[in-house]
Amino acid sequence: MKFFEQLLHCTGNNVKFIIESVCEGDNFAAVVMWHLESQMLLKNVSFLFDEFPEATEGVAMVPDFICILRSAGETPFVVVITSGKGGVGKTTTTANVGLSLARLGFTIVAIDADVSLRNLDLLLGLENRVNYTAVEVLNGDSRIDQALIRDKRWSNFELLCISKPRSKIPLGFGGKALIWLVEALKSRLEGSPDFILIDCPAGIDAGFITAITPAKEAVLVTTPDITSLRDADRVIGLLECDGIKDIKMIVNRVRTDLIRGEDMMSVLDVQEMLGLVLSGLIPEDSEYKSWVSSCFELAGLAFEQAGWRLVEQDSMKAVMVEEEPKKPGFFSFFGG
Amino acid sequence: MRASMASISTQQFQSVSLRPSTCISKHGICLNVLEFRSELRLSSRYLKWSRRKTERNFSVGANSSPVNSDDDKRVEDEVVKMERNIVDSENPFGRLRGSITSLPPVVFVMKRHIGTNFAVGMCIAIAFLIIAVREYVARKSRYNRPGSVADLVKRGQLRSDRRGISSPLKYDDPFNNPLVKVGKSNSTIEMCGKVYRLAPVTLTEEQQSIHQKRRSRAYQWKRPTMFIKEGDSIPQDVDPDTVRWIPANHPFATTVSDIDEDLAQNNVYQKHGVPFRIKAEHEALQRKLEALQSVLLEIQRLHTPVTISSSI
Repeated sequence: MKFFEQLLHCTGNNVKFIIESVCEGDNFAAVVMWHLESQMLLKNVSFLFDEFPEATEGVAMVPDFICILRSAGETPFVVVITSGKGGVGKTTTTANVGLSLARLGFTIVAIDADVSLRNLDLLLGLENRVNYTAVEVLNGDSRIDQALIRDKRWSNFELLCISKPRSKIPLGFGGKALIWLVEALKSRLEGSPDFILIDCPAGIDAGFITAITPAKEAVLVTTPDITSLRDADRVIGLLECDGIKDIKMIVNRVRTDLIRGEDMMSVLDVQEMLGLVLSGLIPEDSEYKSWVSSCFELAGLAFEQAGWRLVEQDSMKAVMVEEEPKKPGFFSFFGG
Repeated sequence: MRASMASISTQQFQSVSLRPSTCISKHGICLNVLEFRSELRLSSRYLKWSRRKTERNFSVGANSSPVNSDDDKRVEDEVVKMERNIVDSENPFGRLRGSITSLPPVVFVMKRHIGTNFAVGMCIAIAFLIIAVREYVARKSRYNRPGSVADLVKRGQLRSDRRGISSPLKYDDPFNNPLVKVGKSNSTIEMCGKVYRLAPVTLTEEQQSIHQKRRSRAYQWKRPTMFIKEGDSIPQDVDPDTVRWIPANHPFATTVSDIDEDLAQNNVYQKHGVPFRIKAEHEALQRKLEALQSVLLEIQRLHTPVTISSSI
């Protein structure tokens, strides 16, 4: 017993001692099958990677290396992307974060849970390939693998739409249907996806309730304006009442020039009002709209970083704040 | 030929067309384009007046007091020259030359028209004053606009002490990017012509728990598990708190469907083979086809001619 005490003392609070089985042996001996589980596997692994960069490079060449990083949980990780207020960038965030994670090597299934106003397929350029949706799967007109649309650029990214615009989903199924879909994806022949991203519709009515039913985590997308923040606060309250405690925040459409002139709330102000960890900061980019309209590569650097923080279950520790540029002094003309 | 009055009159010095013609402009028909075009916008009347005055002065000076015969001759020559100039004013080139030579120095002009200059200066000063007042009023109203940053700070919903960051973080560029210029104290960087500073995130776990408690008090919610159309009754064994009422035109409104929950669940979990409904339709079609075939065979059998053999 002293051995186990010393062992637990050495490993600290980040390691859990799991007893698998205990059986009686001969001569008053007991056989215990046990193992240790690291609750901070990711942080320990990251520490090791920082300390031994050369070894890290070698390990990174392993094909499934990246999947090891999120191994401290049960796949698939079902994440609902919601906001409350419409038009803040939920669908854009879902598409970009999903593609970023696919680019990192994860298997992603994105579900567009908006029954009446479907947009995710449009953003991904897959609107002409939507033949079957979840409604057809429920009705028995197709299998779930036939309803999944694989992206041509990233074969590990798939899209599932809930319904076509004019079809109606049976009333009583709603949230249960999504639970069945997640379970079916988990047990499919190709293997369980790593992430299931659910694009939640705006508002807090039946569509929202359906979308959050199977989710374990949430990403809240908001913009730095007071109306969006109030709706976001309400949505966070509903998510917490429903038992979803792991909620991260992505602030979209940030204008550093307006923040500098105090015409817009800063990201830190937004965080102060909502009290959520910051997972991403997406600046307003005028060129981005041309990407959306032409359905080109959507993943921007900010979205990639947000996706990586989702993988690492990490948050931002600092933000960049724009300042007034320094006025050139008298001697700057002379190179001073 | 059509000429635009606006384009002519906005410029102070305009090249003159060498061909006189009739033009139609906003200000009416002018028979002599050149006479019209040679007028300068701002100082047109002034120059014309000054030109006339100059000409008058010259003619008065020429006639007032001749000194000697040489001077007389010179003055007469000048008068003749001026007269020729006046006569030649109808010649476009001559008019241009006359207008240029008759332009008085600016200082001379300024000194002669102090009243006008004072008025112009007053107008400019008043314009600047109006601009300054408008800017001040706009800035004041910005603080009074509800929902603005200043309004939120005034209401105490945002911290005012965050406006300046007390302890700036040091920026470390691990890539040594030449496009990123790190400031002297390593706390600011310059990228793409803009200066940035790292502001630390100051949200603590205690603050997070305060927000969670606030929301748990404010929002009491139980997720509905059943959606019922407005007007329908609640089933007997269902908790009313878990019911969500849906309007009749909501996308979740049902159609007539013979699929129950178990069947739908089985359809979702199907991994191989033909989907259930397709298979069921196919089987139904096949059964119908078989039934039709059997009916056809029966009919054919009934209608076959009976051969009667005669033993006689």
